[in-house]
Amino acid sequence: MRLSVAAAISHGRVYRRIGFGPRGRLDLLRNLVTALVRHERIETPWARADEMRGYAERLIDYAKRGDTDERAMRMANFWLTEKDLIHKLFKVLAPRFQPHPGSYTRMLHIPNRDALDRAKMAVIELKGNPLPPLIRPRRDSEKTLLNQLLKGYREDLHRAAAP
Amino acid sequence: CRASGDGKPAKFQPPPKPVIIDKQKQRTERRFLSPEFIPPRGRTDPLKYYMERKDMIQRRKVFNIPEFYVGSVLAVTTADPYANNKSNRFVGICIQRGGKGLGATFVLRNVIEDQGVEVCYELYSPRIQAIEVLKLEKRLDDNLMYLRDALPEYSTFAVNMKPVPYLDHEEIPVNKLQVRMKPKPWSKRWERPKYNIKGIKFELPESKMKEAQKWSQPWLEFDMLREYDTSKIEEKIWKEVNEGLKK
Repeated sequence: MRLSVAAAISHGRVYRRIGFGPRGRLDLLRNLVTALVRHERIETPWARADEMRGYAERLIDYAKRGDTDERAMRMANFWLTEKDLIHKLFKVLAPRFQPHPGSYTRMLHIPNRDALDRAKMAVIELKGNPLPPLIRPRRDSEKTLLNQLLKGYREDLHRAAAP
Repeated sequence: CRASGDGKPAKFQPPPKPVIIDKQKQRTERRFLSPEFIPPRGRTDPLKYYMERKDMIQRRKVFNIPEFYVGSVLAVTTADPYANNKSNRFVGICIQRGGKGLGATFVLRNVIEDQGVEVCYELYSPRIQAIEVLKLEKRLDDNLMYLRDALPEYSTFAVNMKPVPYLDHEEIPVNKLQVRMKPKPWSKRWERPKYNIKGIKFELPESKMKEAQKWSQPWLEFDMLREYDTSKIEEKIWKEVNEGLKK
């Protein structure tokens, strides 16, 4: 039984209220998606990056359908304001992500913005981009005690298995 | 009879055997999954929908719920303790199918003695004794609530209407009827694009139609996160329901 909810309670609402109304929200996210497709890595407030992530991944799913598909072309036309990026989306990004079934973006935190608002920032990038990597997974050096012991154990196994 | 050249009696030629083309197997089987089986988008545990589906399949094994759409004419007999024969028959056109799971409902509308009557029945209620489809057809819209503001001739159906036979392997006919409305005011502003109604013949002036378009939200069709793709879910549920009904 669904009773009308008071406007102040937002239980279960999935869309954040950013920009000027629902139209403004979509325009803002459209600009961000265009920028992401152009530069493949952008720095924005965390909330905007979070909203934009879902739309970017669905846009790539549409692009995977191919550019002969009427619906995919209309979506790409709406979402990318700079029309040369439509070509990039269908010819570069769609084949790049063809083998992957799911997540095409990576979102990481960044220190707060330097301006007066100290906004929580995030960087969002498409996987497989040509820029240098954001995080390098560091492995422990070989000189640590545990690694030396493990190396010795492996050598013992080899010597036991060899003759 | 054939006159033979050499005087012998004509040999009996059997007629050519008729070739039976089984059209039923050639056409793709029409699948119909009742809309209340498809779980809505949300954060509820799928276990709840699974349990409801088991109960729905159990009920369907005992009682036959036929395939019908919004716009088809149905006759429903329910058990009524205060009626003469303890049962009550109502005939009407289905204007809306709502609810998911065991609480699925459908609303039937008819005009009886110049009074419009709408009854909301629950599909899986044990009080319902029989559902017959008198006329199986689809309409241009999913929701025919505008029939309340249409001329009463579009909602009247005879109570002793004979069922219209329909063939099993043909497609469901879509009735492209454009309904004429009573003069305004209506219960809802049906000309607004939010309702997306195709089955009304609007006889309003052009200025009113243009003013209604001011409330259109053209960005809504491009909002990708609002789409709910049910094809894979439907496949799984179709298999589950079929296996359940076969046992």
